[in-house]
Amino acid sequence: MKTSLAVFAAAFFALAGGAPAAGAQTIRDDLGRPFVLPEKTPARIVSMAPNITEILFALGLGPHVAGATRFCDYPPEAQAVPRIGGLVDPNIEIIQSLRPDLVIAFRGNPLRILERLSDLHLPVFILDIGNGLDALYPLIERIGQVTRRESEASALAASLRARERSVESALGVVVSKPRVFVFLYGQGLWTCGGQSYLNDVIIRAGAVNIAAPLPKKWALYSRERIVRDDPDAVFVLAKSSADFAKARVWLAGEARLGTTAAVASGRVFLLDENAASRFGPRLVEVLAAMARALHPERFGGRP
Amino acid sequence: MRDRARLRLVMALLVLLAAAGFLVSLLVGPARTSVGDLWRFLAGKDREQAVIFLDLRLARAVVAFLVGASLALSGAILQGYFQNPMADPFVVGVSSGASLGAVLAIALGLRASFLGFSGQSLLAFASGLGIVALVYALSQRKGLFKIETLLLTGIAAGALASALTSFFLFMRSDSFDQAVFWLLGSFQLAGWTEAWAVGPWLAVCLAASLWLAKDMNLLVLGDEAAQALGCPVRPVRRAFLVVASLLASLSVSVSGIIGFVGLVVPHGVRLLIGPDHRRLFPCAALAGGTFLLYSDLVARTILPSELPIGVITAAVGAPFFLYLLHQKR
Repeated sequence: MKTSLAVFAAAFFALAGGAPAAGAQTIRDDLGRPFVLPEKTPARIVSMAPNITEILFALGLGPHVAGATRFCDYPPEAQAVPRIGGLVDPNIEIIQSLRPDLVIAFRGNPLRILERLSDLHLPVFILDIGNGLDALYPLIERIGQVTRRESEASALAASLRARERSVESALGVVVSKPRVFVFLYGQGLWTCGGQSYLNDVIIRAGAVNIAAPLPKKWALYSRERIVRDDPDAVFVLAKSSADFAKARVWLAGEARLGTTAAVASGRVFLLDENAASRFGPRLVEVLAAMARALHPERFGGRP
Repeated sequence: MRDRARLRLVMALLVLLAAAGFLVSLLVGPARTSVGDLWRFLAGKDREQAVIFLDLRLARAVVAFLVGASLALSGAILQGYFQNPMADPFVVGVSSGASLGAVLAIALGLRASFLGFSGQSLLAFASGLGIVALVYALSQRKGLFKIETLLLTGIAAGALASALTSFFLFMRSDSFDQAVFWLLGSFQLAGWTEAWAVGPWLAVCLAASLWLAKDMNLLVLGDEAAQALGCPVRPVRRAFLVVASLLASLSVSVSGIIGFVGLVVPHGVRLLIGPDHRRLFPCAALAGGTFLLYSDLVARTILPSELPIGVITAAVGAPFFLYLLHQKR
């Protein structure tokens, strides 16, 4: 009787197809949804955000990436990967046609689209965007876990952490912290608020973000506030040095910020927008660049 | 007799157009598929593309068709109800009201369901019905509807509902795509669940409106004349109001606000086959479904990334609306 029940149950699970393979481990993604850990590294990964693509390539998974967004341009090899659309407008049909065995998404993707992908029985793993460098290393390890590249991920996280520490020890204790304004060049005075990971990077670079009181990730800042706050330095997130040159002209001219200490003294610096606007491995280099620009004396340069 | 032949011709043409639309919908999409692929799939030899053909393209086409049919039928009913060819669920404000209800249900995290309706569709229905009732009450003067009052009340109520919708959406900072969905409509996420949410109710509403179509023909003569001719005016009016709101609200709760379908389609159909509601209702439903099927096809293929479908229907509908307004002068 017992055996027949067991056989029945086995047959039922086999038919239902829902029973995970023996030994398969179920974890939860950052939204708390259950996810069955694959046995080995998935062969066809779809990345739904540029920072995820960068981490996948940094883990040596480039050849496994089957699809990426139209914004995934780093490393340059990523540009050859088939496009699935944008961050908020990924195309479900294209993703399905790529037959992915892993879809890595993030919180900024529309949840309804991710749910639709799950309904089509695609394995979707959703990651949150952290609000500081401390969240970057777990993110990398998490991607390493779902792609079964645990040791590579720990190694990458450890080397990035070491780089971060080297900047930290070079900086030492900063007593007078410059007040900085981060300017995302494009349309209007977009900046990063107190909840953004760049705010954390600014703090770690021994500075203060004048937009930190804004309880947001990205926000529009008013010119009047910048004049009032009078930042000591401005970081322009621009795509190229040509854009950076335009941004400098714009700040002093049209934006009428020529009187602020930063613009008047020429403490306007370029940050690679591509690296700084993504919560990925290059963020540590952004930290180093920022610290070096603000405190050149501590990095062997002249003050 | 000539009328009959004309009706048959129109119906046959619509069915043909719809069939062609479904076929093209199955073939066209960002993932490359050929006629051969579809043939092999239909012959059962190749199930590789099953998800793309059935769960993505066919489901989407079916939902677009059902929503188009619902909106056009709702518009046909409202036009008869208000005795005015300018009425439609969008203009009268039902769509915006329903959208507000749906967004509110999401904001409140309403997950309950009742009689096969999700909390979202129920609240959409309630607020859609609320808006028509409001517009009805405000635009009635001594039993008559003035076009201007009706339109202006509808626009004001719709704008207020849209503003509240935007407010609830922007309270949550991560929902820009949701705002686009609820204010301009999309079938991007349409699947079989949505088809089952709309299909059966469309059938019920179509049956009910056909059953009451004769009474609608009498209502057009004016409430007093209709009453004298044996039409139970008040219950009939109430039934039509509920049916029209139900159709529009269900449509909105699966695809967001899609404007002008309910305006353009019944009007065009009336020009083709005349004002008899017994014919107008089924023809408008069929034509509306076909119209939205093609609109969605354009919306998802014209650009590399998808357009909200409301952009397409408004591009067709708004000039038509202006033309109607001009004719009225």
